[in-house]
Amino acid sequence: MAAASASSDMFDEIVMAEERFHGEGYQEGYAEGSHIGAAEGRRYGSLHGARIGSEIGSYLGFALTWQCLLQKSSDEKSSKKIRALDSLIGMIQKFPYEDPTYNKLQEDLEKIRGKFKQVCSMLNIQSDFRIGTERSSLTF
Amino acid sequence: GQGLSRGDPMALSPGQGWSCRAVLGEGHQRTVRRVAWSPCGSYLASASFDATTCIWKRHEDDFQCITTLEGHENEVKSVAWAPSGTLLATCSRDKSVWVWEVDEEEEYECVSVLNSHTQDVKHVVWHPNQELLASASYDDTVKLYQEEEDDWVCCATLEGHESTVWSVAFDRSGERLASCSDDKTVRVWRRYKPGNEEGVACSDNEPTWKCVCTLSGYHTRTIYDVAWCHLTGALATACGDDAIRVFEESATGDPRQPTFALAAHDSAGPAVTLHCSASVLSTSVEAEPSRKKRPRVSFSRHMSLMARAVFPVSFLE
Repeated sequence: MAAASASSDMFDEIVMAEERFHGEGYQEGYAEGSHIGAAEGRRYGSLHGARIGSEIGSYLGFALTWQCLLQKSSDEKSSKKIRALDSLIGMIQKFPYEDPTYNKLQEDLEKIRGKFKQVCSMLNIQSDFRIGTERSSLTF
Repeated sequence: GQGLSRGDPMALSPGQGWSCRAVLGEGHQRTVRRVAWSPCGSYLASASFDATTCIWKRHEDDFQCITTLEGHENEVKSVAWAPSGTLLATCSRDKSVWVWEVDEEEEYECVSVLNSHTQDVKHVVWHPNQELLASASYDDTVKLYQEEEDDWVCCATLEGHESTVWSVAFDRSGERLASCSDDKTVRVWRRYKPGNEEGVACSDNEPTWKCVCTLSGYHTRTIYDVAWCHLTGALATACGDDAIRVFEESATGDPRQPTFALAAHDSAGPAVTLHCSASVLSTSVEAEPSRKKRPRVSFSRHMSLMARAVFPVSFLE
């Protein structure tokens, strides 16, 4: 009896070898893929996060500097600029840096960008430092 | 009308003609996509692909560029003055809508940069009597904006079109809006205020806009422009199939579900002479090859004289 089951196991192993190796290979590949994917995702996330942080950080530095520079001014025009700067600083400080799952993250980011552009316009500063060498494209 | 006149005399009816009074050639480096007169008529705003908007002051036939509005990252597609004359809106391929304010000293200041659209913004239009702004975009939506607590915000998004929305127009009351699209339809939207008798739900106690009519099957190509006559309530569309269509609202229709029919020639009445009083302007010729000649339609005060007929028009540049 033992001999019979041993021999059927042995044939079983041989016959099912391909399928078994295929399965094992799949499992290994899946595990490795997940591992690499997670590492890549983490890398991308931190890169992207750093980019956002850098962008908003530059807006904050810019805004605080101008807030300082305009501190002494009391005319109507400057007060409008100061109000806009305060608004920008407020938006940046309210931004939830600790929570990447914040559902209005993209929306708030766009609002900050918009406010920064508006402030630049009021201060007569170019917010975009790209030199205009874009080729004319087909557009309507 | 609003558009860039090529200066060629166009005989509208015997005895009348158009003559070119001024050429403003020194303002822009690229295509001028749209022009708009201020409500008072003394200023002209020109939106250009060079990413700037010029403001020209008119002294009879002499125009002087008093300021250039910069800030957009690329092609400015449209410019519009609010009825109050103190606000101006511009929109661009950079997906943003900018709101500008002008004071008595002719100083322009940016009051808001709105990044609500996710694609190229094609057109901006102001409400006829409120400080409410509408924009049409390549992202298939129409968005509405108003000032809330010292800042401009997007207060409504009208979804429904299946492709680029090229233009929007408010009716005389401002309670309805028409939008035209690359999806070959015109949609009519109606504003429902909170507590409305039709029982339409409004969130946050804000008015809500619902699509109450879709005109489909009439146009065979992209509809580039729509105009709503404030005198007669007729809708006109400018389509890539070289036709201008005029639609009139059925008098017996339910305001909740209006129906528009193509204005038809009244064969029972006396013969009517056709006057093309809707001014049809050719597009400006650009350095880039234009894919298709696109008509732009606007209504003149003589709309009431317009014969009720469907007439296809083709363009000669």
